[in-house]
This record gives sequence, structure tokens and C-alpha cells, in this order.
Amino acid sequence: MKKSLLATALLAAAGFTQANTYSVDPTHTFVTFEASHFGTSTLRGRFDRKEGSVTFDRAGKTGKAEITIDLASVSTGVAPLDAQLKGRDFFNAAETPTARFVADRFAFSGDKVSEVAGSLTLLGKTLPVTLKATRFDCYANPLFRREVCGGDFETTITRSQWGMAYGLGFGLPDSIRLLVQVEAVKQQAPGR
Amino acid sequence: MIREAAWVLLAVAAAARAEPVFYRIDPAATHVHFEVQHFGTSTSRGRFDTIDGSITLDRAAHGGEVSIEVDTASVSTGLAPFDGVLRRADMLDVQAHPKAYFVARRFGFDGERLASVSGEFTLRGTSRPLTLRALAFGCRPHPTLQRELCGGDFEAELRRSDFGMNFGLPFAADRVRLIIQVEAVRD
Repeated sequence: MKKSLLATALLAAAGFTQANTYSVDPTHTFVTFEASHFGTSTLRGRFDRKEGSVTFDRAGKTGKAEITIDLASVSTGVAPLDAQLKGRDFFNAAETPTARFVADRFAFSGDKVSEVAGSLTLLGKTLPVTLKATRFDCYANPLFRREVCGGDFETTITRSQWGMAYGLGFGLPDSIRLLVQVEAVKQQAPGR
Repeated sequence: MIREAAWVLLAVAAAARAEPVFYRIDPAATHVHFEVQHFGTSTSRGRFDTIDGSITLDRAAHGGEVSIEVDTASVSTGLAPFDGVLRRADMLDVQAHPKAYFVARRFGFDGERLASVSGEFTLRGTSRPLTLRALAFGCRPHPTLQRELCGGDFEAELRRSDFGMNFGLPFAADRVRLIIQVEAVRD
């Protein structure tokens, strides 16, 4: 307790009390989904194109995040499956090309983000989603010469709530696990 | 006629003795994914898209053989420039070593449940023992083919430096987690 108070004081002294803006690093930000394949094995896929930004205040324990996913960039490694996922059965990328996650409720454990709550818009429908952090940290990136914050988050969604119901009648799962890798680079000249 | 009947009898007897059954990998439902920690902060993921192989299972004897070939140039992270780095001579060295191999003959069972598959993994021409832990494994009728399908999820860990892949250490971790989705259809 004392330690975390001291850490907070040090962070405050170091100028961390203000909200800082971070730009999502697309090379270390991915949404991967996992779906049970007829109860036998787990199918994984990812989205290759995305963008977003994060504003957060480590000392004030507040934050905002928004990330937009290009649904046509879905990639499973199996071309016919990608085509089906982009089509009307699943993401309907021609009519709703993006999915968007917007969050403004950050929960912290110490000075680390533990939960990010917001809403996911998919297929034109917006519903609440909370991402739980399985790992979170900030570090000085030697390549960018800036602070990078990020981590691993996960949640499980019920796809039929967004109207994506294809295959539920013949054994495709409704429950989809999302694994989210995020790293975001501080948008400020390197001064420290 | 009598000869045919004898064949049928032999086939039935073989089935009753639960002889080894041969399964061929379904490449659409078989992938090797990998996970590496980046700056101890987040998990970077990738996969190999082209995989071939077969599995022989003798469930009565709790034995079998797994033979899997991974096309190293099929590495895919979603970042084309990074895939190029991974294919380089100091990483996967796909020109000199276009395939990675996993060959295993030791099956661990926990009661009737398949718990592990142990064998040898060859990457960049270096062979090392590797044990895959079964997270899930089961067999069922294939939904469209009139055949049995077996498959599951496995995981393993290796150190990439053991195979001479040192690029990016220590910012990208040495420890690599492998997640293997496999489905195979009875021949």
C-alpha cells in the first residue's frame, strides 16, 4: 500500500498526472478470435488492418480508447473460410466494413490497467463489452524513443447478440473468445 | 466368393484387435500458431499456413505415430515486412530449411484421455525433443464425409535460441509458446 502510494507520488512528480495520448501501434495490435470447431479443435483467426488511439492518465486512473477493425482483413490462413467470413453469413464486410470498440471506463489495479469497459459496434449493432487485462505494462521503447503502454486483454462475446447467427443450428459456436494484443506509443516528443 | 468372405472376416478380426488406424491431416483445420512476449508487455502471435502430415493411432495399445511437416515459408503474422524478417537466414532460414518436422511415437495417457505426444522437432536443421500437451482431444463422425475424424488442441514451449534464432532477443522473448490445432480424417 505504502509502496503504491510512493509510486503514485513519484509518477505524479514525473509528470504523469496529465492524460497522455497514445497512438495504437498496428504492428503490435491485433484482435484474434477463437471459435470451437464442432467441439473438436479451436479455430483461430485475426484481423490484419486496424487503427486507433488511447488516452489515459495513470495517476488519475482514467482513460479512453477507440479502435476500428477492417473486417475485410480477416485472416484464418484458409482462403475459402476467409471469403465466407467476409460474406453475408458472418461479417457482411461489403455493407458494414468495420467493427469499432469504444471504451471510456478504465479500471486499474495499482497503476496498471485491469479492465477496459465500453461498447462494440458490429453489423450495425452496439452492445457493451468489457476487456479484461491478463497483462499490462509501460516501457521505454528504444526504437521509437518514446513510452509505449500496452498489454493483453481478453473477453468472450455471444455473436448472435449482434445478429450473427449463421451455423448455430448445425453446431457452430455462439460463444467467441477474443484475444486482444495492444501496444500504443505516446504522442509527445521524447523529453525524458 | 469364399475368398471375399475370408477378406471380410479378416477385416472384422483386425477391427476387433484394434489395429493401428491411419488418419490424414485436414489442412483447413490444422494450424501451428506461436506466441512470443514483446518487451514483457504484450503477446505477438503468428501462424504457419501450410501443413501436411498423418497420424496413426492404436487406441487399444495406447500407441501411435504422428508425422507433421510445416512449410516454413508459410509463416504469417499479418505484417508482410515482419514475415520477410522471419523468413531470413538468421531466423527460419526458409531457403536452406523449407520444412520443419515433428515426428512423435510416445503417447501419454491419463486413463483413456490422451494427455501428451512426445517426439522430436526439427527446425533450421536442428532436432530437439518436444512434448505437446493435449488441451483437448477427441474423435467423432465427420459432419459431411462418412468417416471418423479425430482432432484437438495441443500446446508446447520451446526456446528459439536452441534452434539458433536469436534476432530481436531479448526484447522479443526467447520462449515461444506453440498452439497446435489439429484435425485428421480416417483414411
